[in-house]
Amino acid sequence: MNILIIEDEKALAQELELFLTKNNYVCEVCYNGSSASEKIAVNLYDFILLDLGLPDYEGLDLLKEARQTNPEAACIILTARAEVNDRVIGLDLGADDYLAKPFSLLELQSRMQAIIRRKFGVPQNVVDLDGFLVNLTDRTIMYHVNPVNTITKKEFDLLAYLLLHKNRTLTRAQLGEHIWGSVINDDYDSNFIDAHIKNIRKKLSAFAPAEWLETVRGLGYRIKTNA
Amino acid sequence: MKLQTKLTFFNAISKLVIVTLFVLLLPGVIENINKSYTDDRLIKQKDKLLEIVQQQGIKTYIDGDESYGSYLPLKEEYISLDVAPPKYHLDTIQNEKRMVEQDTIDYRILSHTFKVGKKNYLLEIGKSTESIGETTKPLQNIAFQILIGMVLLTILADQAFSSYILRPLNIIIRTKLVSKKFPSFTAYKQVRTTTSDFQHLDISIHKMVEAIEKAFQKEREFISNASHELMTPISIMQSKIENMFEQDDVADETKLRLLEMQKILYRLKSITKTLLLISQIENEQFLREDKTTTAELLQELYDEISIRLQDKNISLVLLVTDNVELININKFLLFNLLFNLVNNAIKYNRTDGEITVSARWHNGRYQVSIADTGIGIAEEELPHIFNRFKKMKKALSQDSFGLGLPIVKSIADFHHIDISVISVQGEGSTFTLSLPPGTINAAL
Repeated sequence: MNILIIEDEKALAQELELFLTKNNYVCEVCYNGSSASEKIAVNLYDFILLDLGLPDYEGLDLLKEARQTNPEAACIILTARAEVNDRVIGLDLGADDYLAKPFSLLELQSRMQAIIRRKFGVPQNVVDLDGFLVNLTDRTIMYHVNPVNTITKKEFDLLAYLLLHKNRTLTRAQLGEHIWGSVINDDYDSNFIDAHIKNIRKKLSAFAPAEWLETVRGLGYRIKTNA
Repeated sequence: MKLQTKLTFFNAISKLVIVTLFVLLLPGVIENINKSYTDDRLIKQKDKLLEIVQQQGIKTYIDGDESYGSYLPLKEEYISLDVAPPKYHLDTIQNEKRMVEQDTIDYRILSHTFKVGKKNYLLEIGKSTESIGETTKPLQNIAFQILIGMVLLTILADQAFSSYILRPLNIIIRTKLVSKKFPSFTAYKQVRTTTSDFQHLDISIHKMVEAIEKAFQKEREFISNASHELMTPISIMQSKIENMFEQDDVADETKLRLLEMQKILYRLKSITKTLLLISQIENEQFLREDKTTTAELLQELYDEISIRLQDKNISLVLLVTDNVELININKFLLFNLLFNLVNNAIKYNRTDGEITVSARWHNGRYQVSIADTGIGIAEEELPHIFNRFKKMKKALSQDSFGLGLPIVKSIADFHHIDISVISVQGEGSTFTLSLPPGTINAAL
C-alpha cells in the first residue's frame, strides 16, 4: 500500500514514516503543501495522511485537489487545530476519517485498517486463536462451533484492537484511549482496563483457557499468536 | 409589559381619571354658574323695576296699601311689591319657599326694601330653582359624552404616535438583541431614527457587540493557536515513545521507564484537551442541534461506565420515571457532563456503595439527579467545587487533576442547565441538573 504523508512537523512525519514502514506500508513524505500538491497530481496513492495546518497551503484545498487527482485514495485528516467545525468540513469534503492530534500511532493504524475493510471489501476476516475464531468483519467470536455471545461491544473493541496489533504489548493508556477516546474526563489512569480484561478472560474460560491473551507484567497486555 | 403598551395604558388611565373628576365636579360648577347668572339677572330686573318706579312713580304698580304681584303662567318666575313697615330693611338673595296658588315652590328670591316718599316698600323677584337646575343634567351628559369621545380620540392618537416614535426602539430590540445568536454577528446596520436617545442606544449596542465579537474572535484564535502549539509537541513525543516500544533492542527496564513517560504524557494530554474543551465551550464553538431521549442517553452512559463499577462492587440504578425527548442539545457534551458526574460518584464512593441516577419532573422542571453513597463534600468546600484545579482535601490521593466538575459546570452553563448540590459528609452527595424548558420536546 502506498501512503503519502503530508506533515510539516518533520519529527512527527519521521515517526509516522518509521511506524508505517515497519508495518509494511510504502511511504512518501512531504513537509509542505506545494510539494504535496505536485506529488498528488503525479502519483497515485492508497492513503493520504493530511495535516491541515500547513504553513504554505490551506489544508482543505489540498484535500479538494486530492479528491480530484486521487479519487481512489483514502484521506485521513490529522490536525492539531481545535476548530470544532474542521471535522465536519473535512468529512464533507470527502475525507475518510479525522484524527485529532495528539493521536496514537496504533489508533492511526486501526483507523486505516477499518477504511481498508470498508473501502476494499476484505472478505471475511477471521483469526483463529487456539480454537477461538474471532471474526473481525461480523464482530463475532466462536469457540469451534459454539458462539461466544457473552462478550460485550466494548470487550470486543478491546480484543480487536489487541488483535490488530498482535504480538505487541499495548499499555493500559493506549487501550484506554482507544476505548474511551471520545470521553473527556479527569482521570489519567486507566485501571479499568484490568477489569475489562478480567471479564473477557472469565467469559472465554467458560469454553477454554485463553492463554493467548497475555498480561505483560508492569507494561500491559498482548495477544500472542502465530495466526 | 412593552414600553409602548405601558405608555398607552398610562395615558389612557390618566385621561380617564381627569375626565371622571371633571364630570363629577360638573354639577357643582354648573350650579355655581347658574346661581351667579340668576342672581345677576334678578339684580338687573330689580334695577329695571326701580328705574321704572323712579321715572313713573310707584303708582304704576301700587295704589294705596294694596300689594302688587305678577307671575308667569307656569309660576317659574314672579314679582311682588308690598308695603313694608317703616323701619324694615332687607337686601338679600336667597332660596326660600313661596306658596303660589296652593303650590309650594322653591324659589331663588331677591328681596329688596326701598323708600318712595315716606313709605317703605318690599320688592321680591323670584325664579324657581327647578327652572334654574334643569339644564344641569343634560349639560353634564353632553359634556361626558364629548369628553369620552375626545379621550378615545387622544388615546388612539397617542397610540399611533408612540408606536411611530418607538419604532426604532422596537427595531433595535428585535434585530439587535432578541434574535442575536452569539457568536454569530451580522454586519452593523444603522437604525433610522431622529430620536437622539435611540441613536445613542443603537451605537452603544453596536459598539458592545463589536467588542464582544472581537473578544470571541481573539479567544477563538488563541484556542486554535494554543491547541496547535501544545498538541503538536505532545503528538511528536507520543509517536516517539510508541516507536521506541517497538524497538527490539530496548531492555525491559527501559520499557518500564518509557511507560512512566507515556503515562505522564497522557496526563499532560488529558489536561490540555480538557482545558481546550472548556475554552471551546465557553467560546460557544459547539452547536446545540442534537436530539436524543433521556432513557437512550442514560443507557449509553451505563454501557460506557458500567465497567468502572466493578472494582468497588458499586450498584448503579437508573430510574427514568419520566422519559422525555431532549432537543437543542449537544449530545457529545451532555454525555460528557453525565459521564463526569457518575464517574465522580464512583470514584468517591465506598465499597459496595450505591449510585442512583433518576430522571423525572419535579415542581414543573425536568430534573436528572445523580445520588451517591460516597464520602460527601464538606460544607466549606461546596462553593468551590466547580473551580478549576481545585481539589477536595479528601480527593488528593485520587488520580485526577480537578477538572471534572469544571467541565460539568461549563457544559451545564452552555445548555443553561442549573446544577444544585446537596451533600452530607460521610453519607453521600446528590447532584441535581434542572433542564431548561427549551431542551424538552415532549414527554414520551
